[in-house]
Amino acid sequence: MASLSIKLLGKTLRNPVMNASGTLGYGKEIEPLWGIENLGAYVTKGLSLKPHHGNPTPRVWEEHQGLINSIGLQNIGIDRFFSDYFPFFKKKKTPIIVNFFGFTEEEYIACAERIKPDRFIVALEMNLSCPNVKQGGISFGKDPVLVHRIVKEVKAVTKIPLIAKLTPEVKNLYEIARAAYEGGVDGFTLLNTMPSLVVDIRKRSVPLKGGLSGPLLRPVALKAVYEISSRLPVPILGSGGIMNYQDALSFIMAGACGVQIGTATFIDPYTIPKIIRGLKKYLTQNKCPCIGDLMGVAHG
Amino acid sequence: MDDIEGRIIHNKEIASRHYLLKIKLEKSMDPTVPGQFVMLHIPDNELFLRRPFSIYDYRQKTLSLLYKVVGKGTESLSRTVKNAKVSVLCPLGRGFSIKKRDRYVVVAGGIGIAGVHLLIQRLGKKATIFFGCNNADEVPLMGKTAKFNPFVSTLDGSYGFRGNVVQLLEHHIEELEEKDIEVFACGPEGMLKSMKALLEKKRIPCQASFEERMACGLGLCFGCVKKTVDKEEPYKRVCKEGPVFDIWQVCL
Repeated sequence: MASLSIKLLGKTLRNPVMNASGTLGYGKEIEPLWGIENLGAYVTKGLSLKPHHGNPTPRVWEEHQGLINSIGLQNIGIDRFFSDYFPFFKKKKTPIIVNFFGFTEEEYIACAERIKPDRFIVALEMNLSCPNVKQGGISFGKDPVLVHRIVKEVKAVTKIPLIAKLTPEVKNLYEIARAAYEGGVDGFTLLNTMPSLVVDIRKRSVPLKGGLSGPLLRPVALKAVYEISSRLPVPILGSGGIMNYQDALSFIMAGACGVQIGTATFIDPYTIPKIIRGLKKYLTQNKCPCIGDLMGVAHG
Repeated sequence: MDDIEGRIIHNKEIASRHYLLKIKLEKSMDPTVPGQFVMLHIPDNELFLRRPFSIYDYRQKTLSLLYKVVGKGTESLSRTVKNAKVSVLCPLGRGFSIKKRDRYVVVAGGIGIAGVHLLIQRLGKKATIFFGCNNADEVPLMGKTAKFNPFVSTLDGSYGFRGNVVQLLEHHIEELEEKDIEVFACGPEGMLKSMKALLEKKRIPCQASFEERMACGLGLCFGCVKKTVDKEEPYKRVCKEGPVFDIWQVCL
């Protein structure tokens, strides 16, 4: 019997398929279509210490084979997530990865400190693409010195494994990843959306600046997974334009131990269960007993 | 709620740049509340996302949508031929909630008629209807609403009252508000804004259907929001908490 289950940071997940943060609401929204317990793990919407209102509209813009979003990290805050939503995941025996962010180092640390270990929490996923308001709004994830320090500080206040979600908008991704690794990070999510913008030629203006997601990003994220997985000995979650099980397999073969599905869910809300079924079928047809056996096989 | 496959059985222009589309669904849609919408997957590789449309009418697995060509998606849809395969995520969002009142007032501006057409069919003679459009050419957008004797305005005066639909409503509001009424509206945001100002004095109960650029239609992405008076969480999802909102809760 082919097995999709994987080991991730000391926990066993029923499969390697997750949603990308912020693309499956607070989890309950998808329930009319399929059960959240299908996921290997649910990745929370980005949470902050205090609730955050997010940006005015327009927040989304269609690109050719891509989506630009500028939601602005709207969320109900860590406390309300844990009081109103976490019991739902526990009841459904669905492990979660808690995505969190801050606009200052102190906020990141306070967030991580606030989240108590629980057998249903696999990891904290730190969104490093946020603007650092104390340093001219440059995102934390672009400065290796800052990344190293903030990872170290966060690690010091939590016993929960820490995953860093990196931004693609850097000159040398390995340098950033190594800084996080040396700071004590336990894993990576590669990659976040790519900063981009839209020009309205009729109005001669920029209606939206935001993060690009979707298939356009896939080869870029794939390269990041391939390179970082060969150089650093920590688990990687691959994310970027995965539309079907073949895409998911390519990330696993490139060295990812799990995959995150985002934009594809907006086009077909059944993408995640379809990918899980597709992976299972692939294992059976190729007489491969375990999905983990395929991890990194593209490296030869 | 489900994602249902279907085929286009009708796609005809009924007024300049306005089309009536009919889709035969492979299976029945869950019971729908007037004001709900669908996310339509248009078979065109140039389009990445689905597009939201109000449920104009639905009976016996035939879903009707009334749309205006306004951009890339609707342009492509207008060129989509009969028999083309589509998939329809439906029914979505929160529709109009109908409480017992002496009288209902329905206000529709232009293609906004698509959002209240089903509601008008349900309310029947209990509703006083106001419909406004640009000119006489667009009057056929009313469809079956015509049999309920609506008040009609056109901006150019080529049919009915000359002016916009809120100006038309203004002529009748004093008489209407003597009774226990509720207003249901759908139309461009400018119309909703001026209508809200008109209803402000007596703060007449009013539900309005809103639109916004949308990605998922399911409440997953928080892309389509409207700002409300809620201090804690001002931005509400049009696809989930809406598209129908209490107009007094929305910042216009």
